[in-house]
This record gives sequence, structure tokens and C-alpha cells, in this order.
Amino acid sequence: MIEFDNLAKRYGEIVAVDSLSLKVAPGEVYALLGANGAGKTTALRCLATLLQPSAGRTTVAGYDSATQPLEVRRRLGFLAASMGLYERLSPRELLSYFGGLQGMTESAIARRVPELIELFDLTSFADRLCGSLSTGQRQRVSIARSIVHDPPGVVLDEPTLGLDVLSSEAIQRFVLESRERRCAVLFSTHQMSEVELLADRVGIIAHGRLAAEGTIQQILELTSETTLSRAFLQVAKAGR
Amino acid sequence: MNFANVLLVFRKELTETLRDRRTLLIMLVVPIFLYPLLLILVQQLAIFGRRQLEEAPVTVVAQGAGGELLALLQSDSSISVEFAAAGTISSVQQGEADLLLVVQQPSDEHASGRAALYYDATRERSRIALETTTEHLEAWSDSLLMRRLAAASLPESFAEPLVLADSSVATAERMGGYALGRFLPMLLILMTLLGAFYPAIDLSAGEKERGTLETLLTTPVPPREVVAGKFLTVALVGISAAVLNLFSMLLTFRYAAVQFAEAADMQVSLPWSTVLTVVLFLIPLAVFFSAVFLGMALRAQSFKEAQNTLTPVQLASILPMTLPMVPGIPLTYPLALVPIGGVALLFRELMTGGAPPGPAVAALVATIFYALLALRFASRSFGREDVLFGVREAPVGRRSLGQRIAGWRSGRRILPTPAESLGFVAAVGLLYFYVGVTLQIRMGEEGILVSQLLLLALPAVLFAVLGPYRTRQTLALRTPSPRALAAGILIILGGMPIGWLLAWAQSLFMEIPAEFLTALEDLIRAETASEILWLLIVVALTPAICEELVFRGVLLQGLTSGMKAGRAIILSALVFGAFHLSIETAIRFLPSAWLGALLGLVVWRTGSLFVSGTMHFINNGLIVLIVATPGLEQLVMGPNEQPRWSLVALGAVLLGVGLRILPKRGGSLVAGEVLASER
Repeated sequence: MIEFDNLAKRYGEIVAVDSLSLKVAPGEVYALLGANGAGKTTALRCLATLLQPSAGRTTVAGYDSATQPLEVRRRLGFLAASMGLYERLSPRELLSYFGGLQGMTESAIARRVPELIELFDLTSFADRLCGSLSTGQRQRVSIARSIVHDPPGVVLDEPTLGLDVLSSEAIQRFVLESRERRCAVLFSTHQMSEVELLADRVGIIAHGRLAAEGTIQQILELTSETTLSRAFLQVAKAGR
Repeated sequence: MNFANVLLVFRKELTETLRDRRTLLIMLVVPIFLYPLLLILVQQLAIFGRRQLEEAPVTVVAQGAGGELLALLQSDSSISVEFAAAGTISSVQQGEADLLLVVQQPSDEHASGRAALYYDATRERSRIALETTTEHLEAWSDSLLMRRLAAASLPESFAEPLVLADSSVATAERMGGYALGRFLPMLLILMTLLGAFYPAIDLSAGEKERGTLETLLTTPVPPREVVAGKFLTVALVGISAAVLNLFSMLLTFRYAAVQFAEAADMQVSLPWSTVLTVVLFLIPLAVFFSAVFLGMALRAQSFKEAQNTLTPVQLASILPMTLPMVPGIPLTYPLALVPIGGVALLFRELMTGGAPPGPAVAALVATIFYALLALRFASRSFGREDVLFGVREAPVGRRSLGQRIAGWRSGRRILPTPAESLGFVAAVGLLYFYVGVTLQIRMGEEGILVSQLLLLALPAVLFAVLGPYRTRQTLALRTPSPRALAAGILIILGGMPIGWLLAWAQSLFMEIPAEFLTALEDLIRAETASEILWLLIVVALTPAICEELVFRGVLLQGLTSGMKAGRAIILSALVFGAFHLSIETAIRFLPSAWLGALLGLVVWRTGSLFVSGTMHFINNGLIVLIVATPGLEQLVMGPNEQPRWSLVALGAVLLGVGLRILPKRGGSLVAGEVLASER
């Protein structure tokens, strides 16, 4: 469903992503780990058609992000780390707006928006302006926004960053439900406990390169470590 | 383009904009309340000032005033008269008195008296004292005159052999239009600009800052549709702000007219047809502002950065808006083409009831053209990753000037970037304008020689040699083939009559100042062989070397490293045309730009400044020879100073042959290709 094929992204002499290859199958949850500046966000932005690759390609359901961006966007839900919402729209208006942008009909939007409001427990603030929402509420709205068109692939860039336990739990529940719906989920995070709970496979990225990949068990065996945190540290340091 | 998407973005942006207090303030509150409030404020201030004056009368120190004059002054409650045997000017200077009046009464019935008034022109009260006292003095003088006439048994008409009566034939409506036309265009355009300013920033840089732009661009809506929706919102807000301002101003003025304008014989209102036309013309202008602001604000990373970037543009836009306030500037074809200024002048003409149709259409077409250009600029800014994420900026942090220069020099490359070459030409241009022109005024022909060599050629050579570039490529120093040289010569021989035709056509719309023409002819007029030789060196050979190094060397080569050849040639030609502008006239712009385009094309194809130098020498040299040779000028130019059509036809043929035999671009010395291969 989601594929990176030798992806490279350079800014002048700075190499942000280098020969990155990985696949996420339908119904699979893939966690992308890496230190700050390792190239996770750049790689995800290339997939989401926001950046042009310097070399290689990324695809979603067989569509190339660089040459068929509109097809990719129709099949991908993307949650950026910035968690940006329109401050002067309510969650209900925001979801309807993005449904429209995704090409949904008015009747489809009218069905889908209440569904999402219920799924992410937005009812109590669905008609308040987003500018007045708490961080946790905003993040739930953001995720609802990213899947308004019910895409077969979802990319979440640090979805639980800065959230309290309750809000994080809601998002984790969403990821698990997505897996059940045979959705391919690719997410980046710094929370190892979250990875252990959610991920079927893990990729550790260091200096733009995929330094290790496999199930959590395979990563632990590869590094001869007992915890994912220590395994991650070992791989990240070795990648320097 | 999917208009459903555009409409969707537009509706959402409009909803958000109308929920933004800042925009509402500019769009609704200011126009609705500002003008009535201003009017009330002005009235109140006037009343306050009058009361102040009544409560505290101005102090007039009177010396020598007595009798009837004194009674007149004392009867006025707004004046407090003090007597002084010998009043001093210093009392007025120090503010102790508002006016010193020194009167020398007439010695007898036939003599003249004298009255000297000393006041401080920088103090309002002193000026009021002058005005009031002068009125009393004139009244006293009139009464003296009447008595003398009566004593001599003469009628009053004896002292007034001619009674002057002037009256304006303008109707009250036209007077109102004239008064409005002076300042209303500026206010209207300014409010359009201000109306578009904040929404443009909020919908672009603001969206980027809040992190929503990234999200928006992951939806399957092409960037041009998003930008179209945003742009429509900004334009609508800009137009609405202007229209609301227009109506609020007109209503306020109408109310004010009831109180003030009757005395001034004017009717402060505009016909509905004029108001409608003005609103229609505001639409392309609002489009222009919106697109320029959107395009520029998109390049900024934050709201604050966008404000900093747009403020100079805002200030620069105000300058052409003031054109209607300058007396004696009519709406002509050239002025109609001035961005913003053309529309401002047109508004004035519409309000005074006499817009010339030709220039009016030109102003409309030009504004639509500028708006489309700006729209294209905004659309291109959108969706570019460097614009979205600001990724082109290298993370270098703060560096000193020395470090920057060292960094610049260490980054070896073949050619300067477009920004570097444009920056260089801007610096050289300024230097030439301030120092070169002074040298030419003081030293004459020698000044041209010195400024061309020292202010153009030397900096260009230093830039190419000391900069981190390959000198030969930057200055296009390729040895030309005989065919390239022959093609260049044919192109310039053919291009010259066409250039003259352009200059003549231009002179139909833009008058050439007689002094400018005389000065130019004086400069290139020579009678002896040695004078001709000297002129050929100064005005033909020197520019052929020095200007070519700058414009077809550093500038054109730098531009081709970062943009398509056609655009680079046109841009370098426009800059070359602009370099030949002078304070007196813009008449040299078009012919110089034409010459620059021909020279640029040849250098692009041949990679050789030697060819363009030869062409430039032929162009300038031939002009010197034509002016210097008796009879030749008449042979070249027709009776109306237009080139003979036979010559233009011959020129077209020569130009065609030259272009045909001009070698195709190629070879390793041609810089852009080297650059591409080394990437």
C-alpha cells in the first residue's frame, strides 16, 4: 500500500534522506523511529507529495507521489506534526471543509462528519471555534480531519506529541481500529511504549538512512538488547 | 480548473476572514465610523479653537495708535490692546505679545500714514493677531479715504476706477468633483490596499505559521485552485473595503456640505455613473494588490516576516497614488501605464467629468495586465516546496560581513546567480547615477570616458576576477567565428532602422523635451576629422566595451544561470533600457531596450562579448557619423523625423538574414551548458 523505493532528498549539500526503502502493507502498523533531524518528517513529506524527491520514489496504492500527487492524496490521510487547525472554524466546519476538498459529496459529508465526531469524542466541542480548544482536543480533531475521506493509507507524524494520557489513548485506539479496517498505518514517534503497543514492524532511521528494520523482536535480537529504547539508542548511535 | 474547489476554498476563507476582528476593523469599522468621527472631531476642534480665542484674546502691543484706530481695535473682544511708548520686537519673539503694531498717523489730510506689523509666523495666535489687526487697519484706511473723498467732493468711484469681478463658471457639481478628485482617488486606492493587506498575509504567511498550509496541500486540490480561492477572498475584501469607504466618505461629505460647502459654492457629490465606473476600475486594482501581496506573503515564513516584507511595497505603492494631487498632470497614454498611478489619475478625471477615452482604456488594460502578471506570480509561489518550508535557506546562523564575503568567495562556481548579477548591476547603476552623472556634468565628454571606464568596466572586471566565478564565462569572452561576427553586423545594421522606427512611434505618445534633444545633438556633433575620431572613442568605442562588460557580461550571464534564456535576455534588455533613462525623459528606454535585446540574443547564441561589442560600436558610431555628415541625416530620416520606410524594409531584410546565419548556441564555453553539465 505504502512504499518508499530508494528515496533520497537533498538540500544543496545537506542529505536529509538517503536511499530509504520500506513497505507498509494493508492492515499493517509501521513505526518509524529516529532522533530529531534524522529525516523522518522529510521522508513522510515526500510520501505526502509535499516535497519532491531528489532521487528514488514513493508510492501509495501504486501511485507515484511525484508524478501522480492528486491520486496519492485521495488515498492517503496525512497528519503533520504541526497540528495546525483553522482557528476561526469549528471542528464540524473544519471536517466538512476537508471533506469537500477531498471531493466528497454533500450527503457523504453529512454522514461522515457525525461519525468522526462520535469516533473521536468531539461532541462536546464540535461547534466551538478550534482556537479555543485544548492540545488534546486539537489533536483529536486533526486526526479526524486527516481521515475524513476514509483513506486506505494513513501517515501520522508524531501524533501523540505533547498529549496527556487520555488523549494519547484515544489516538492509540484509532490506530488499532485502523489496522482492523485493513488500513496501512505509518507513524513516526519518540514514544517507545507506544511503538511496543501498536507497531507490527519498526524502522529506525539515522541520518536519513534506514539503519534497522523488522518486528520489535527482530530489532531486539539484532541489537542483543532487552528493551526497545536501548535497541534504538544503539542503532541511532551506530548510524552516526 | 475545478471551480467547485475554488468556491469551496473561497467560502471557507471568507467565513474565517469575517470572523477576524482585525480584518473587520479595517473593512467595516474604519469606513463606517472613521469619516463621521473625523468630521465631528474637526468641527469640535474648530469650536474649541474659537472658544479659546474668545476666552483668551490675542495681545496686540500698539505704538502710535490713537483715536479712531484705537477705538476700532478696542471694540474687538478678541484683541487685548496694550500700549507702549516704544514696543520691542523681542516681546513678540518671546511670546509676551502676539503682535507689535507701530503706527505713524498721517501728518495731514494729503499725506500717507504708515503701519508696521511685527508677528511670529510660527505661532498660530500671532498669525490670528495679524489677520484681525490687518482687517481693522484696512477698515480704518477705507474710512479715512471716504472722508478725504467727501472733503474734496469726489464720488467713491474716484478711488476705484476699475471694479474687478471674477466668478467661476464651473457648476457646483464640477467644483465638488474637482475638490473630491484631488484626494479621493488616493484615499480609495489606499483603502483597497489596506483592505487586501491583512487578509493576504493571514491567508498565506499566517496559514503557514499556524501549520495549516501543509495540511491543505495534502488534499487533492491543485495549488492553483487553492490560490484562486484565497485570492478571490482577498480581492473581495479589498474591493468591499474600498466601496464601503467610498460610500461612507460621500455620505459624510454630503452631510458636511450642508454645513460648510454652500459658502464655497460646491456640491460635494458624484453622479451614480461615476461612482459605478470607479467601483468597476477598483476591481482590477484590488486583484493586482491581492495577488502581489499574496505572492509575496507566501514567501515569508511568518506573519511578522510577511508584514516586514510587504510594508516597503505598501509604502512604494503610495507614491503613484499621490499623482492626482500634483497639479498640471493630465492622464496621458504613458501615465495611464504607470501601475496604480494610471488608475489614480483616471479616477480624478472621472470625478471632474472629463476622462479621455483612449488613456482610460489604456489604464484599464494595463491594470488588468499587471493584475494577471501578479496573479501568475502568486500562483507560482504556491505549492513550491522552498516557499512552503523555507528549505532553501542554509542553516548558517548569523555571520559577520567578512565571513559572508569569505563564504561567497569560497563557494566556487561558474557563473554568478541571477540575484548576485542583479545586485551587482543595481550597485553599479546607483554609483553611475550619483557619481557618473556628476562627473559628466563637470568634465563633459572626458567625464563620460572616465565614468564608463571607472564605474562600469572596472567593477565588472573586478567582480568577475575576484568573485568565485570563471572569469571568461562570466564576461562571455569567447573568440567569435567569422560567421558569428558577420551575423552580428547584419543584425545591428538591420536592427538600427527598426529601433529608430520604435523611437519615432514612441515620440507620438511621449513628447521629447527640446532641451534634451539639443543637448544630445550638441554632444554628438563634430565637424573636423579629429573631433569625429574623439567622439567615436567616447560615445561609440567606450560604451561598446564598458557597457557590454556589465550588461551582456555579468548581468546576462548571471541571469542565464538561473532562468530561461528568453526571460534572461528580455530582463537584461529592460535593465539596459532603464540604465538609459534620465531625469528629463524616458524617451531612450524603448530604443535602448531594443538594442539590448538584439545584443543579448547574439551573446546568448555566440557566447561572445566581442560580437556584441562590435555591434554596439557600429550602432553608436553610425549615429555619430550620420549626425556629422551633412546631408546624410536627411537621407536616413524622412521629413517627419521618421526613418524612411525603404530603410526600415531593408533593415528587416538584413535582420532576417543576420538571424538566419547566426550560429546556434553551443560549445563548452557557453556558460549555462557548462553549469548544467557540472551539476
